Amino acid sequence: MKIKEDRSSVWFQLIAHAVVVAGSILCILPFLLIVSASFTSNASIIRDGYSLWPKDFSWEGYKVIFQVPDEVLRAYGVTSTVTVAGTAIGLLLMTMAGYVLQRKDFKYRNFFSFFIYFTTLFGGGLVPYYMLVNNYLKFTDSYYALIWPSLMTPFLIILMRSFIGSAVPDEVVESAKIDGAGDFLIYWRIVMPLAVPGLATIGLFLALHYWNDWFSSALFINDTAKYQLQFYLYNIINTSSFLTSIGAGAGIILSEGIPSETMKMSMAVVVTGPILLLYPFVQRYFVKGLTIGAVKG
Amino acid sequence: MPKKYGFVQELIKNRTLFLMLLPVLAYFLVNNYVPMVGIYYAFVRFDFNTPLFRMDFIGLKNFEFLWRSGKLTELTYNTIGYNLIFIGLGNALSVTVAILVSEVKSKWFKKITQSVLFLPYFVSFVILSVIVFNIFNFEHGVLNTVLKALGADPVDVYSKPKVWILLIVVFYLWKSFGYSMVIYLAAITGIGEDYYEAAKIDGANTFQRAWHITLPMLKNTFVILLLFSLGTIMKGQFDLFYQMVGNNGLLYSTTDILDTYVYRSLKVTFDMGMATAAGVYQSLFGFTLIMVVNGIIRKINKEYALF
Amino acid sequence: MKHTIRAWRTGVVAAAVLLLAACQGHGSGDASLPSPSASSAFTHPDANGGRSADDRSEHVDLQFYMLGSAPPDMPRIQSAINEMTEAELNASVTFNFIAWTDYDLKYKQLLSSGQSVDLLFTADWAQYQTYAKRGAFLPLDDLLPAASPALQRFVPQETWDAVRIDGHIYTVPSTFKEYVTGGFVWREDLREKYGLPKPVDIATFEAYLAGIKRHEPDMQPVAIGAEVQNALAFSQLDVTRHSIGSMPYGLLATYANPADVRSYWGSPEQLADLKLFKRWSDLGYFSKNELNTSEFNQDRIIDGSAAAMFGDNLIRYNEALNNMQAAHPDWRLGYYPFPMAKGYATPVHPTHNGFAIPKSAKHPERALAFYEKLVTDERYNRLTEYGIEGVNYTIEDGYYRMIGDTSTNGFPREAMNGWAWRNPEYMLFAPSYDEIRSTFRELDRIQKPDIYTGFAEDDTAYQAEKAALDQVQKLYLYPLLAGLVDDVDAGLATFMKEAKEAGLDKVQAAYKKQWLAYLKERGIAGS
Repeated sequence: MKIKEDRSSVWFQLIAHAVVVAGSILCILPFLLIVSASFTSNASIIRDGYSLWPKDFSWEGYKVIFQVPDEVLRAYGVTSTVTVAGTAIGLLLMTMAGYVLQRKDFKYRNFFSFFIYFTTLFGGGLVPYYMLVNNYLKFTDSYYALIWPSLMTPFLIILMRSFIGSAVPDEVVESAKIDGAGDFLIYWRIVMPLAVPGLATIGLFLALHYWNDWFSSALFINDTAKYQLQFYLYNIINTSSFLTSIGAGAGIILSEGIPSETMKMSMAVVVTGPILLLYPFVQRYFVKGLTIGAVKG
Repeated sequence: MPKKYGFVQELIKNRTLFLMLLPVLAYFLVNNYVPMVGIYYAFVRFDFNTPLFRMDFIGLKNFEFLWRSGKLTELTYNTIGYNLIFIGLGNALSVTVAILVSEVKSKWFKKITQSVLFLPYFVSFVILSVIVFNIFNFEHGVLNTVLKALGADPVDVYSKPKVWILLIVVFYLWKSFGYSMVIYLAAITGIGEDYYEAAKIDGANTFQRAWHITLPMLKNTFVILLLFSLGTIMKGQFDLFYQMVGNNGLLYSTTDILDTYVYRSLKVTFDMGMATAAGVYQSLFGFTLIMVVNGIIRKINKEYALF
Repeated sequence: MKHTIRAWRTGVVAAAVLLLAACQGHGSGDASLPSPSASSAFTHPDANGGRSADDRSEHVDLQFYMLGSAPPDMPRIQSAINEMTEAELNASVTFNFIAWTDYDLKYKQLLSSGQSVDLLFTADWAQYQTYAKRGAFLPLDDLLPAASPALQRFVPQETWDAVRIDGHIYTVPSTFKEYVTGGFVWREDLREKYGLPKPVDIATFEAYLAGIKRHEPDMQPVAIGAEVQNALAFSQLDVTRHSIGSMPYGLLATYANPADVRSYWGSPEQLADLKLFKRWSDLGYFSKNELNTSEFNQDRIIDGSAAAMFGDNLIRYNEALNNMQAAHPDWRLGYYPFPMAKGYATPVHPTHNGFAIPKSAKHPERALAFYEKLVTDERYNRLTEYGIEGVNYTIEDGYYRMIGDTSTNGFPREAMNGWAWRNPEYMLFAPSYDEIRSTFRELDRIQKPDIYTGFAEDDTAYQAEKAALDQVQKLYLYPLLAGLVDDVDAGLATFMKEAKEAGLDKVQAAYKKQWLAYLKERGIAGS
């Protein structure tokens, strides 16, 4: 019996390692291509295509970006501020909602869940939304316009509801109630600590959402100083294709020139690099068994 | 009347809970429900000089462009087909990998691979399409360079619509499975160690534990992911399709989805009514589907239903 | 189950109530309107009744919208401009930039949301005609003499007339004359090296491409790009078939006989052209995957991966040449304008660059007064076109000279993309522009007016068909153009069958009718 179990778990470990390693290689390859391309001269990219190691090494892309670093740094500042503020506020509000919606003694939880979910199905379209934010909320060209649209998503709220539901046994809430704790106190003192892995996940996703957002800038920001980082990147990557689609008849010449392939890749690296560092930091909350002590204590 | 009384009573009883929920409700009310007035644009002839509710009501005329080219069935079919594959394979893959990663014993290995598997999520589709073009283009692509070196005939991947079904699915999975894997991983982490201890004592091996404990515990998470993907089954992944296929009409028979079709149509017509109409079609489809599926889930197990 | 139904029914009712509440909420500010959702946004401030004269004693802030991205020195330029406007117009101006990315989406938003925009860049390629036709802009006819008499005098009457849509002026056109007509672009050094003919028409161009293919097998003879319709069909129609302009829906009218509009699609001419492109593709003159290339054609010339372009304008050619020679001083380019091959040249149409005042503008008079300054006042004009003299540029022997280079200069030449308010009297050119100017002078000798671009189509009656036709084009015509369909005859037949099903005949007939009416109105008769 004992031997059999050992053998199966050895097999399992072997398979697990093999699959995970293979997957990791597949995932990292294109990323290496991008990093390598960012260090390749533009002429070489157009002539020879991408390779895992730069054929014609060059800093040219990074040089262009950091020659006038103000814009990139400013965009970094905007995105960081928005990410931190948005994640903090959104996380607090969404966990409260998730907690309330999973309380079985809360009579209208299904109705309110539907109320929230329904918004993923129907929307008024872009222009009415633009009018709401611009004409009525008057958020245009402010940080509010960047924080507000992504503050909460139904998906994350419902996910939070499920995480709390499974991480916090009903008995814990019940016994706390009997001890005379109020609903908010139960949420703050008992539920939140128990739901740390869920919080970390939702927080990570929300932060990613903010970090990767470019559409809010595209819609609501005219002031270049408030462009989000991703919009800055998106603009650089897309300028040439938009110019192509306008056609030669327009006779447009851009005084700042058209971004080169190298520059696009360097920009991609500069923009995504830092957020990659965030993940390992959040990861430690996924370490198995973190919740056990809390339940028992 | 008694129902209303019930609500008031509930409001008083659970006032803290209501208060905690209030900001979220207010947010969705303002941010999502108010702009829904704009759905009416789908039924009027747009005009810059008239307020919305005074524009000419034209019934379903704005919907006409959807079926005018005779492609609506094909588009609906493609869109749903791809989404079903995405949902099925995507969830299977991320659950499997999440279980494997969670079972790996070495801590540093676990940490590194977790990060690496999440990497593709950060690669934008614009950049991905450039990489794909570099691999598959006929004259200088990596694939054909290798084929020629081996003495084989070069392949023109960009004129083979069937191949693109596979490519699109592979690149979708590649880019997005990390995201749902993280969700599953967090759910697995939430499962109490005592379940596994008990199973160990009963003599269950690793496979059995994964099958009988981990998988059932993930059902709840799976249902949420499922319902959210089903609701938007007529939308989604625009960038993936648009960037990979672009102007290449040869591939449209297998790669054109509703979103790309609508996008191209509106590039030439600029009509707000038509844009809204397309959205309404997608929404109604998702809405019907979700009511049915949620109903079925509710019948099987009330706990798992979304609402 | 019962519970579910009730839950969702409640949900729907709640949503409906909210909808109503939202409508009423919007309208509560104005009791006179019965169903006024968002009315405040859509109604023009002075929609009912006459416009009161501009009261200069009231300070206003003007919102100015331009395409592109703000140059680093923009804040300095803006404050310098505002110093003058505060003193002279009692106004301040905010320069906003619409990013290139999704600019068409942004235009739609700005114009349909009712946001306050006082001045907005317009161009034929940015759908000026469509927006004007649909009433997005304010008619300027009555405003001009009162608010900006000098500007009205400055722009010649025939230029004003050329931008009229349904009899009204909706944009202030640029008066700078240039040519954005197409031309052959090739590598002159390679042509000389291999003794190839100079491309002056399709035959010589093909001979050049064949020579390049033979001597430089690693080079792509001609760069086409993903927009095959522009790069192949419209160039061919222009240079060989003397089309009056790039008409939509496969229609063709020649410059000599504009009233004779016929379907190019499905004609023997189209079949011949498609076979020509197929031949180019088969011979390897362009890539099999041209439809999926994302690289800019100019970049492929600059880096030496392609050896020609079929149709580019002189200005972009000149830019490509300068960029190429910066990297490869011994390479040279040649250019032959299509107009030379055709025997006539059409200068750019006045709708090509202009500024309009959207319906939602808060201060139309002051906006025009400011725009007048921008065009006719040298201080305003030079500052916004070239930056600050001595900081961004210097004038040497009458030429513009940039200080530093594009990466260090905070305001390179025309960094605000001020194409529309160029004033020929104040314009400064870099020495490299001399070649363009000399070619322009040659083209001047054979110039004829552009009679196509001023036409504004009203597509409201056949929008669905129009959208469907575009789909059919991408699906069946683009692969044909890119040489990807083996049997061209059968491919064209399929395309025509699908196009007819999508409503080609109806759309062509409607367009033709409008076009003939336009010719009549402008007094352009077919010869």
